Amino acid sequence: MGTDRCAYLSRLRRVDPIPKVWFALAALLICVLSDSLGVGLFTLAALSALNLILGGQRVGDLLRFLKVPLAFLAIGGLTIAIRPIGEAEALWAFRLLGRWNWGITTENLRLSLLVCGKAMGAVSAVYFLSMNTPMTDLTLALERLHVPKLFVELTELIYRFIFLLAGEAGRIRTAQESRLGYQGFRRSLGSMGELLSTVFVRSLRRGERVFSALESRGYTGALATLPGQYVPGRWLYGLAAATAACQLLILLAERRLLP
Amino acid sequence: MKRSAWKLCSLLPMALVLLTAPAGAMHIMEGYLPAPWAFGWMAICIPFVVTGFLSIRKKTAREPRAKVLLAMCGAFAFVLSALKIPSVFGSCSHPTGVGLGAILFGPTATAVLGLIVLLFQALLLAHGGLTTLGANVFSMAIVGPFVSFGLYALLKKAGAKPALAVFTAAALGDLATYVTTSIQLGVVYGNFLQYLSIFALTQIPLAIAEGLLTVVVFNVLEKYAKEDLRALAVL
Repeated sequence: MGTDRCAYLSRLRRVDPIPKVWFALAALLICVLSDSLGVGLFTLAALSALNLILGGQRVGDLLRFLKVPLAFLAIGGLTIAIRPIGEAEALWAFRLLGRWNWGITTENLRLSLLVCGKAMGAVSAVYFLSMNTPMTDLTLALERLHVPKLFVELTELIYRFIFLLAGEAGRIRTAQESRLGYQGFRRSLGSMGELLSTVFVRSLRRGERVFSALESRGYTGALATLPGQYVPGRWLYGLAAATAACQLLILLAERRLLP
Repeated sequence: MKRSAWKLCSLLPMALVLLTAPAGAMHIMEGYLPAPWAFGWMAICIPFVVTGFLSIRKKTAREPRAKVLLAMCGAFAFVLSALKIPSVFGSCSHPTGVGLGAILFGPTATAVLGLIVLLFQALLLAHGGLTTLGANVFSMAIVGPFVSFGLYALLKKAGAKPALAVFTAAALGDLATYVTTSIQLGVVYGNFLQYLSIFALTQIPLAIAEGLLTVVVFNVLEKYAKEDLRALAVL
């Protein structure tokens, strides 16, 4: 499901998750805080390259994931670029319904490009984390970072149950589709409603079963698990510092060159 | 002649927006909000999430079963939001599950479950993001559920038919989520009405579809799973 498969195949999989978390978060925060197109594009290029080189991800996989947020970006970018401009000087303008003057000004175009570049940079930073760290390692890392135990446990349980329920929903959907379900809007609603309620009832019953199984194995309210055996990843802190330095240099250069 | 050509041009971006909007319009993507807004929304969410967390802690301490059940409910919310929902225009989108979650589990627990589900969506599916987590939690796990739950409770008290109460709660909770999202985008980048009109075009049919869907789900649950719903009373 999603980036999960890639994370288990990643070359960085055995590396301690905490340096990976800090590395990705540092790149992400600097990218968002610096508010510059150059830094955004650099973060996009650098983190994607590191993802491919260090993580050994396939180019096709990365491109497929980078395409996901493009739909949102298309609407977001357009709504920032094309807007009512009054009588301002525009690169391109039209009368909406013959009354309002809408168009693209240089300033709005620049803002739109800035937002798109920054967002894609941020997305690539998160992909570096999620495509190289299995979720179970991340939840253990959360625990080591002193996130409340109950929250971590809920996260772990939900992660496990997602796959159970998604598999079940998929099987039910196949069964429905092979029996003329989802034909037309009305029947789609009916089929979907049955699917959801069945999955919900089964998930409740399954929850009861999981609890009985846990209780018969001495469950006292806490799920204790052993952390994995990790390769130390301190070199990632060096990489984080180098990336941050490059990002800041680009920011300074951009501020100097473009007043 | 010339004016009609311009009109055509003005329709083009609208058509583009309509084609792409339902796919991923509900989560604000990673890095889209400037840092002060991103952190501001996180701060606003904290009291709600902490209250929800404390109430869950109290319940799980009294009844250990509740933890596993809550986790199942969270996983259900994730799976629900990953399913394709049929929409009136033949396009597809994903249900938010806002109304269903709020009516079944109450708004405070939904805030915490919503936070975890949105975290998974950001990491596993790149829907939403880590920096925009606060804004997304606020619109989808706080405003929507509170509106749904409030309406449901109000309508039930007023003696409305259950189906009507469920439909109104789910559809309006859904809409409240989208209105909040457009406000969140509008206060940052201006032009709030433009966001709202785009969302209105695509989301009103979706909200109606989700309302109808929630009614179907509730009918089936009422008919076949009264016992199981009683188990939820411990939550």
